[in-house]
Amino acid sequence: MNKPLARGHDSDMRGRRPRVLVVDDGITMRMFYRSVLEAAGFLVEEAANGMEGYEKVLTQAFDLMIVDINMPKLDGYALMQLIRGEPAVRGVPAVMISTEAGDRDAAKAYEAGANFYLVKPIPPDELTEVARLVAGVTVP
Amino acid sequence: MLTTAETPVRDLAALLDDLSAAEPSVRRAAARDLAAHPEAAMPACDRLEIEASPSVRAVLLTTLIHLQSPAVAVRLAAHLRSEDVPLRNAAIEALQEMPDAIAPHLQDLLADEDSDVRIFAVNILGALRHAQAPEWLAEVVRSDPHINVCAAAVDALAEIGSLETLIDLENLRRRYDGNAFMEFAIDAAMRRIEGQ
Repeated sequence: MNKPLARGHDSDMRGRRPRVLVVDDGITMRMFYRSVLEAAGFLVEEAANGMEGYEKVLTQAFDLMIVDINMPKLDGYALMQLIRGEPAVRGVPAVMISTEAGDRDAAKAYEAGANFYLVKPIPPDELTEVARLVAGVTVP
Repeated sequence: MLTTAETPVRDLAALLDDLSAAEPSVRRAAARDLAAHPEAAMPACDRLEIEASPSVRAVLLTTLIHLQSPAVAVRLAAHLRSEDVPLRNAAIEALQEMPDAIAPHLQDLLADEDSDVRIFAVNILGALRHAQAPEWLAEVVRSDPHINVCAAAVDALAEIGSLETLIDLENLRRRYDGNAFMEFAIDAAMRRIEGQ
């Protein structure tokens, strides 16, 4: 059920590290994503819930978002809908992540504006590959 | 009839009528005032199932926390299966505030056939002020067959686990040998439990 969506992203990342925002209420999960993504060359910023994530997206530039679905205050679906409705940031690519392996959450994630959907637990290689693909990062 | 703060307690029948009013402000006021009526718990649960206004929902949940009982906990636990994520999250947060009311039902939730319901039950346990919570989480780590349920329990044990939990985490590491995330999560939890 994991598939890329053809939402265009053409940011120029030559000469700088791509910036990724990780939005997840689980501190261990955020630490894991940071460890994997920093090793892959990303600069990582964290948010502990959807509301914090929305504020950071509005005030900082990102090449990618990693968004958990089940979060307090503002869940992943609602966060994506807010971002996709905001012209200044609607093009930021996003990978949504859930514990649900069935089609139900995936369909809702793509409907909310996700570019890709992954199911926990995510092997580091898969997370790196998908992050690079969705962010449009060219591997040297 | 007056409360100790000299605030008039509104008639229950009138409050239940107001709970169906068109204006959210009227429903919100009724939801708030129902907290003075223990017999209003089930009607408040009924309203929560259809209430569309987030602010009225929030007040209903505050009232239900005030009126908490095992019966209220059962009604709230039903929302763990809801596709309405904000309602589901709000139910989890409310249940975390009623440890004695939800405790009798946690074993059933932890044995639910839906792994997502078990994860939400673990999320409740992680923030539940209940003496048995660490042992119930350790039992999840020992016996739950789903990796994401175990991972949620590891995350919760990082907060409330004790040194006795370490052996269960070591056994879990062996069960998921080679899984990078589980190894990372277990290492992080053990460091926190050991106070590093």
